[in-house]
Amino acid sequence: MTCSSTSTDCLLELYEEKLELEDYQSGVPRWCTGCGDNAILTAIQRLCRDENLRPEKTVFVSGIGCSSRFPHYMKTYGFHGIHGRALPVAEGVRLARPDLTVFVNTGDGDCCSIGAAHWIHAIRYNMNLTVFLHDNQIYGLTKKQASPTSPIGTKSNTTPRGSYLEALNPLTVTLGIANASFVAQAVDWIPESLYDIVKAAHHHKGLSFVRILQRCPEWLPKLHESDMQEPDSVQLLHHENSLQISPSLARIYKNQLRHDPLDMNRAREIASSTDVVPVGILYQNRDIPCYEDIRKLDILRTNETVRKGFEAELDKYAV
Amino acid sequence: MEADLQAFVAFYLTGKKQPDQLHEIGDLNLRPSLFSGYRDLTRLRYDFPLVLVEYPDEGRFVETLSGLIDGILNKVAIGPNGERIRKNVLNLEESIRVRINNGATGLFSKLWDQAAPALAKQDKQMADSLSRARANLKIDGEVVDCTEELTFRLFGHAWSLTQKRRAEKFNENIDRLILKLSDIIQADFINSDAGKSAENLKHSFGSGPLDSFNFEAMSNILKKVSSKKKLAKSRRHRILGLISTLRSQRFFPTESSKVGTATAPYSFAYTTCSGALKAYRDRLPKAIELSRTMAIAELEIKGEYSESRHDALFESFGENGLDAEELAVFPDYLVRLNATTLSGPEQSTLTEILSADLPIKILVQTDDVIEESLIGNNHLAFALRSKQLATMAIGMNGVFVLQSPASYLYQLRQQILRGLDYAGTALFSVYSGASANTASVPPYLVGAAALESRVFPAFSFDPSAGRDWASRFSLAFNTQVENDWPVREIVYQDERYQTVAQATPFTLIDFVTLDTRYCKHFARVPRACWGDALTPVAQTLASEGRGQIETVPYLTMVDSDNLLHRVIVDEKLIREARRCRVMWNSLQELGGIHNSHAEKLLAREKRAWEDTMRSTVVETPAKAAPAVVSSAAVSVVEQEAERSSDEAYIETPRCSTCNECIQLNKKMFAYDGNKQAYIADITAGSFAQLVEAAENCQVSIIHPGKPRDPNEPGLDELLKRAEAFM
Ligand SMILES: Cc1ncc(C[n+]2csc(CCOP(=O)(O)OP(=O)(O)O)c2C)c(N)n1
Ligand code: SF4
Ligand code: SF4
Ligand SMILES: [Mg+2]
Repeated sequence: MTCSSTSTDCLLELYEEKLELEDYQSGVPRWCTGCGDNAILTAIQRLCRDENLRPEKTVFVSGIGCSSRFPHYMKTYGFHGIHGRALPVAEGVRLARPDLTVFVNTGDGDCCSIGAAHWIHAIRYNMNLTVFLHDNQIYGLTKKQASPTSPIGTKSNTTPRGSYLEALNPLTVTLGIANASFVAQAVDWIPESLYDIVKAAHHHKGLSFVRILQRCPEWLPKLHESDMQEPDSVQLLHHENSLQISPSLARIYKNQLRHDPLDMNRAREIASSTDVVPVGILYQNRDIPCYEDIRKLDILRTNETVRKGFEAELDKYAV
Repeated sequence: MEADLQAFVAFYLTGKKQPDQLHEIGDLNLRPSLFSGYRDLTRLRYDFPLVLVEYPDEGRFVETLSGLIDGILNKVAIGPNGERIRKNVLNLEESIRVRINNGATGLFSKLWDQAAPALAKQDKQMADSLSRARANLKIDGEVVDCTEELTFRLFGHAWSLTQKRRAEKFNENIDRLILKLSDIIQADFINSDAGKSAENLKHSFGSGPLDSFNFEAMSNILKKVSSKKKLAKSRRHRILGLISTLRSQRFFPTESSKVGTATAPYSFAYTTCSGALKAYRDRLPKAIELSRTMAIAELEIKGEYSESRHDALFESFGENGLDAEELAVFPDYLVRLNATTLSGPEQSTLTEILSADLPIKILVQTDDVIEESLIGNNHLAFALRSKQLATMAIGMNGVFVLQSPASYLYQLRQQILRGLDYAGTALFSVYSGASANTASVPPYLVGAAALESRVFPAFSFDPSAGRDWASRFSLAFNTQVENDWPVREIVYQDERYQTVAQATPFTLIDFVTLDTRYCKHFARVPRACWGDALTPVAQTLASEGRGQIETVPYLTMVDSDNLLHRVIVDEKLIREARRCRVMWNSLQELGGIHNSHAEKLLAREKRAWEDTMRSTVVETPAKAAPAVVSSAAVSVVEQEAERSSDEAYIETPRCSTCNECIQLNKKMFAYDGNKQAYIADITAGSFAQLVEAAENCQVSIIHPGKPRDPNEPGLDELLKRAEAFM
């Protein structure tokens, strides 16, 4: 069997080889001023530029929600899916087009509520996807209903007297699922560490799950106010096998913790912290196989084989 | 498996192919895998075609088509229609590229005007975009692509601009000398009786009331009064001689010189070294005469010429030829020739010119850098004659040398100018990449491959840049100059559509695949036989010596559908590649890379240093281990320079792109390339706005500083609010 080669950038002195941030921008985001989604968009656009991801080889998949509007603002391929189904759609893209780099943007409602079942299985399948959970702890788009990650007591349109249940912790949940291979937490208000985490997630082979604490100034303006004013409430994780903290960041964020990303027990402990907001990579295991590698198909998926398969299926219904 | 290996080894050693096991590479039109992206060059924006600029600004004698179009786009593709205009103009660019590829020639503006109507006809917006852009086409010139003709034309163009500049300077000087010398003659005449005659006085009066003036009386008075000394006869004679020599010079065209007449200016462009050398010799007496004339003229003008002192001196002027400074005012000779014409006598004339330091610039174009060895009889050893030419010239020490494939000449435009302006001999050795043996690949790619594979590296040697090798010699134009071969990643999809990246060096062997003459040294291995018997060429090249042959080297190539193939190569090619590497390594040494002397010295110093270190460590007791660092320990914290609190600023790296400040005042606040805010124009807004932005900024990184306008209303209150952000 032969292989098909993609282009390489060499030999020619090419013009416009390098894309700028604006080259990845499409349209003007409709998010509210001050919305944390803007910061996430910038970090991801920086990643695309710095890694020189070709727009035609990159796809962003999302569900429904404010955060799920993300693909509209990227000048790449995109799939604005249906509520809760970002992950299965992304898995399909991954299987059919392994040559693409696939990102997923999903909200706390989208992922942890209606999409929870898909979330659990996607973690277990560990396909090579980079997943960003934009966790604003509320349903933003539908104008303020409590979500599974809303802190207990959150007053919303569905819980006017305050929510009754303890919030679900997406980090501990993910760490509890078999085959979790990359789990990190970021906050939208520290751009440098957000970028570093996004980049590490992109470089990880397997499903990288990044929960991003994202501010929604429209519905929960006070939620992270104290965390932002008190730098010590953020705890930066670092390790020689993981992220390092730059001197400029270290000057502001003095609360730091050395954590080996292979230490699952410690990762679960850190994920459960309530006194500080841990930021960094909680767990990373590069040895967990990807589903697409385990289920290697030896048939080449050409247009021809796809057509034949389709016809065989349809023939079953022929009269 | 064993059978496969046997067949491969047989091919490797003898070049014989078993037809059922190994295939020819010609039938699939295979190319090096690094070429996979470059099937249709007209669809890519790269540094060709070039525009030979007609009236260039300082040194910009050549531009790229894409560069000029980008320049136009920077002016017109702005505002709400910017994106559309950009797209439309880039469409036009592609259409111009296609035309040039199909043989169209002429001015950039002409090609534009030919291509535009077809596009504009289809759609109104396109017509609008193109006409706006056309109005900004201000830099024009002949368009040339990377073809066989490129090199001669590019150098001819650059050289003629250099000559034009010299001619302007020269003519200015000559005109000045003629004028001043004529003034001396004129003054003498005015002083003479003839000059003071009534007739002449009347003549010089101009128009006016001639009748009311008595010229006779005037003439009489003048003749009586003045008694200034007349110009000595010999001096007068000399000055008239100088003027006549200056007027009749033929080194530069003047207003009165006409082509085809006896006073026609000399031509300085030649196609042979012997032609140029003969012309130089024949004209040397004239040049010396002109040079002497100019020197004497300067003295005459200042009135400093003394016959007793200077006559004898100028008698022997130029007996030893002219020195560099004197020669610098004259035009340089340009010889453009093809390496195939460098036969015996011509070759020795070339050597003579190079060693004599004459003002001759020689361009040698080579169309074949891996010609078959003259030994013939299947003896494979590329005769790298053209390559040796440049290294030989470097050995002469006083010659400016530039070597490059044609495809890289644009990048070397400044070096070309330096070479043409160099006071002395210059040799430009250029590989065109255009030959019948590589006809299926565009010359641009062939040239680029020659550069990349170290078969024809680019370098310059500029004796005027300094006295040591480090200042004179540069190899920096080559990719990954530290390595033996440039290593690139080829990225491909395997059978399961998985992306695989493989580091692949580009070597002489890749280059040779482009040449149809050497097909027989390659054999394609069917997919079924890909196995342990094959190793990548790079590994074979890296391991010295032969030993037991357990595997055979292969190369990855692509067919016209970009499918990957494996092609094995024979031992002769491996040998040639190693030879090429040795040549490259010695160039590297000249360029100070992996310099063997330096490395030996360094190793010696290092050993000495380690010895001293060992002895001192023994002497000093071990330091106490540092106290256990707390979990919050951090790497070194660098100190940022203190900012004055008077100045407004944003801690840009901490900006979370929330749009608050931008929405408040788009002129005052702006985003940088990372979409993070900074103060773009402090004068574009009030202190009140700065304070409001600081308050709105959720990450509190805007610092309003001190107010700039002491009369801004409500300052007291604003200053109080601003305190929180100091
Ligand atoms: C099947 C389905 N059920 C319900 C909805 C209504 N709906 C739209 S967005 C949304 C919640 C979005 O919250 P989240 O995922 O947290 O996104 P955010 O807007 O907060 O970014 C819901 C319930 C829907 N669009 N489709
Ligand atoms: S509602 Fe909240 S999450 Fe949605 S755009 Fe506005 S701030 Fe962002
Ligand atoms: S208000 Fe602050 S965070 Fe927002 S864009 Fe301006 S500087 Fe950045
Ligand atoms: Mg939400």
